[in-house]
Amino acid sequence: MAARAERLPERASPGFFAALPRWLDREAVFSWAMMAAPLLFLTALVGYPFVYGIWLSLEDRPVAHAGVFVGFGNFIDDAEDPVFWQVARNTIIYTTSATLLKMVGGLGLALVMNQHFPLKNLVRAVLLLPFIVPTVLSTIAWMWMLDPSFSIVNWLLIYFGLAKTGPSWLGNADLAMASIIVINTWRGLPFYAITLLAGLQTIPADLYEAATIDGAGSLALFRFVTLPLLKPVLLIVTIFSIIFTFSDFQLVYVLTAGGPANATHLFATYAFSIAMNGGELGRGASVALAMLPFLGLLIVALTLYMRKP
Amino acid sequence: MALSALGTAGALIPAGVHAQTKTLRVLHENSFITTFDAYFQKTLAPAYEKATGIKVNYELASVGSLQTRVTTIAETGTGPEITANMFNWPFLYDERYVDLSEIAEAVDKTSGGWWPGASEACVVNGKWKALPLGNVGQCMVWRTDWFAEVGFKQFPETWDELLEAGTKLKANGHPIGFEMGHGFGDNHGWLYPLLWSHGAHEVEADGRTVVIDSDETARAVDFVREFYQKAMFEDVLSWTDPSNNKSYLSEQISCTNNAESILWAAKRDFPEIAAVTDHALNPAGPKGRFHILNPWSHSLFTHAADKPAALAFLRWLMEEKQLGGWLVAGATYYAPFLHAYDNSPLWDAEPRYKPYRDSMASSHLPGWPAPMSRAQSAVIARYVVIDMFAKACAGAATKDVIKSAETQIKQIYRQA
Repeated sequence: MAARAERLPERASPGFFAALPRWLDREAVFSWAMMAAPLLFLTALVGYPFVYGIWLSLEDRPVAHAGVFVGFGNFIDDAEDPVFWQVARNTIIYTTSATLLKMVGGLGLALVMNQHFPLKNLVRAVLLLPFIVPTVLSTIAWMWMLDPSFSIVNWLLIYFGLAKTGPSWLGNADLAMASIIVINTWRGLPFYAITLLAGLQTIPADLYEAATIDGAGSLALFRFVTLPLLKPVLLIVTIFSIIFTFSDFQLVYVLTAGGPANATHLFATYAFSIAMNGGELGRGASVALAMLPFLGLLIVALTLYMRKP
Repeated sequence: MALSALGTAGALIPAGVHAQTKTLRVLHENSFITTFDAYFQKTLAPAYEKATGIKVNYELASVGSLQTRVTTIAETGTGPEITANMFNWPFLYDERYVDLSEIAEAVDKTSGGWWPGASEACVVNGKWKALPLGNVGQCMVWRTDWFAEVGFKQFPETWDELLEAGTKLKANGHPIGFEMGHGFGDNHGWLYPLLWSHGAHEVEADGRTVVIDSDETARAVDFVREFYQKAMFEDVLSWTDPSNNKSYLSEQISCTNNAESILWAAKRDFPEIAAVTDHALNPAGPKGRFHILNPWSHSLFTHAADKPAALAFLRWLMEEKQLGGWLVAGATYYAPFLHAYDNSPLWDAEPRYKPYRDSMASSHLPGWPAPMSRAQSAVIARYVVIDMFAKACAGAATKDVIKSAETQIKQIYRQA
């Protein structure tokens, strides 16, 4: 007898809203639902300006006027602008020097903080201050410390007979660059120190014990136990630090506005000056975007270095 | 219409104004002369509110940040309706500014006519895009006692004489200090007049021919280098606009170029310094005596929700009773651009400010004689001329700095 192709009575199909919670529970759906809000946020506040910036850099766009598409015209103008190349040199010198100083200083500071001594926690908290205080405020304080008329640094130098008149910290091109490097190091050291400290504390103590039993001195301990295990953390914090330092704006803008004679202009301050003071938004965007290749190469190089076994 | 409800105030407001307009926003930069801002907030705004019921909010941007704000407002189309301008901003933002020719021409007739400099910055393509407020000029500010010590009872007439005085003053521990850093006003304020007084300029009046590479420019650069070495000191290379005020008032320097803010602050806080301070016109060079023109003006943004109300306010503001009172509160810091005020008692309150009035006849915008243009704005914004002089002082050769400046200017003009 032929089977009757009868449909089994189905349970009444659950309503949409009843099914929703079960559907949401599925991991794939749930994870996307959770990510939706942050993704939207990032797209709107980071993605959109970034894409708009790329579009601007391809246009000749005077402020309050419509833009005219010029392709790579702005980038070619950048390449022919001697100030642009000085800005590139400044930024690379600034970033390299400050990062190296922060790395060495931060590591040293972290090693010291890893010890036990009275008031350890208080000292750790206080050490974070340069990083936490808003950059604009701390830079203004530094501005007074290096001020031509009122510099405390110069006053001390003269008081101790080390100089007849204090050096011009912000007027001399080399000293100005040295000044911003020092201030950036002062500001960024705690970031390095705290992060490396966290990394140091994950190194198991018995590794040190084992090494000591094998006859390792403190230098060897550092070279063969601490450093290799710290490398991943060191790399992460260095990448972050390079990105922040390369795109630094507040420090230079407040302290020297790029002077004297462009000696301390960085990509960010130069782009701002061209766009906001000169009214050339397209050209300013192109200078800002010029950071990408430099930064990209740096990050790739560092990441490849880390992958080395 | 609800006009009738406003009663007598209706006379001030033309037909068509929405009676719902309750506030107007005016954007200014923090003035060095605090009484100027206070006058608007405490006298003008309440008076207007009493007459028309419209509250006028006076917003202040910090010194040096006004241009960034105006750029943002022009781009986004939101924010205060009326803004102050400096230098050649009416040109930069002209597409976002309402045509104010009607008011400007009316004031021209009732207040004695505009000084030539007023239209140099405010008229764009034949239309007044801004209403001139006053000129924040620059003159020499000098210590009469220290100059007398080195034999100068009057301020030196020429740049060479100033160099002679400056050399002696520096030897006495009282150097001269002129800004050469990346400020907004005091650097252009002496370097452009110096350049012009040597017969040099960047671009011809045709707005195209770049002529910065000339013997006159070389003479000017050599002079500035010598002046820097003999009469100034290294810090000036990093100075921005407040630096020379600070330096003068802390008695570090004997002379600088500035608007009236130094004497004004000295009279208030350092009377002993004020007693020995005076102003003088810029020294003359081989080809004349020049000053910088820095016209402050007001513009109305096209995004303003209620243009008739804003225009009515501007019309009221430019009347002699209001404008005159406001300028007096500014202690001539904003030198009036209207001839009606030439002999006003405003100048007699402090005769030492008179050079600022007299300097207007020989004042020009940075970039003169080239007309206002995007390229000219870019050259100024990138400090091409300032850095040319600064690099020479820091040790570079005259030929090199001029060539570098010429390359930059040519590039900027070619791209515009």
